[in-house]
Amino acid sequence: MRLTIVNLFCLALILIGPGASAAADAFVGVVKTLEGVAVITRNGETIALGTGMEIQRADVVKTDRNGCVGLVFSDDTRISMGPNTELAVNDYLFEPVEKKLSFVLRLIRGTVSFLSGQIAKLSPESVQLVMPAATIGVRGTHVLIKVD
Amino acid sequence: MRVWVYLWCCVAAMSLMVACGHKNIIVLVPDPDGSVGQVSVSNDAGTVDMNRANQSTSVRDRTTAPAAPAELKPEQVQELFGRVLSNVPPPPIHFFLYFKSDSVQLLPASVKLLPEIVDTIQQRAPTRISVVGHSDTRGDKAYNLDLSTRRATAVKQQLVDRGVDDTVMDVSSHGEENPLVKTADNVANTKNRRVEVIVR
Repeated sequence: MRLTIVNLFCLALILIGPGASAAADAFVGVVKTLEGVAVITRNGETIALGTGMEIQRADVVKTDRNGCVGLVFSDDTRISMGPNTELAVNDYLFEPVEKKLSFVLRLIRGTVSFLSGQIAKLSPESVQLVMPAATIGVRGTHVLIKVD
Repeated sequence: MRVWVYLWCCVAAMSLMVACGHKNIIVLVPDPDGSVGQVSVSNDAGTVDMNRANQSTSVRDRTTAPAAPAELKPEQVQELFGRVLSNVPPPPIHFFLYFKSDSVQLLPASVKLLPEIVDTIQQRAPTRISVVGHSDTRGDKAYNLDLSTRRATAVKQQLVDRGVDDTVMDVSSHGEENPLVKTADNVANTKNRRVEVIVR
């Protein structure tokens, strides 16, 4: 399992490496609500979460046992995370002009409410919620997911 | 007595399954407007499609197919997901601003909207604002992209002049690729010729 995570991380680094500078200013998401304690793991560093903070591609957001977080993305997607939850923004691209649309979230554990936005409207096949046991394709909707 | 033993065994077996399995649960619920979308849940062993309110499936691992969808009662949805459902952030507010033809000058009705936009930004703080230019499909794609970028930049400047912090605003342009009203190519449409200010 650990090997897989390391592999995925390396793959992610390779994939985002060249494109990272071009997309550096593109706004991805914002932390709108926070209860309790939550952190973001970004480039190997752990940062305490606060409202108004930006979410970036490849961020991993983690809540503690009393933590709840509300996120809003640039395409209007709204996410609510419950306690003891770990959610990774594996990929996010909202550039309709270049037809670059992608939203891949990975729920490692915990509970999440996902209300899809414009990426799902413009390109439903570009939205994926990855769970340990299955992958969910979302065609413009409100879905609740839980990993025990 | 025998019934109780049987029941107890069932409960014990179920909790054991839950404890060992790292069960994944997926529930489709109505959108805020009451409509119900569609999800597909798949892994190496199969796919399950859901398109009705409160349909739910569970999956144990990637080599076991997702269970056949079952409808949950509203109170079961609340029990599993009440906390996240009560914390969904409010929807972003979209303001639409319109322009004189081939110009970065706002129409009078749109100028009147600016104070309301500024108030909303203050109420929603801390927030991030996107100012997005859009065009209709009439004329040259590249020209439309440039015009809608100039319009978005002009709107951002108007908001900065009214005291909005420019570090919380992003300017971009979707040209003719993200229309409000879908049309064929080369069609003039006043609703698509817009700048959207999105306050989250």
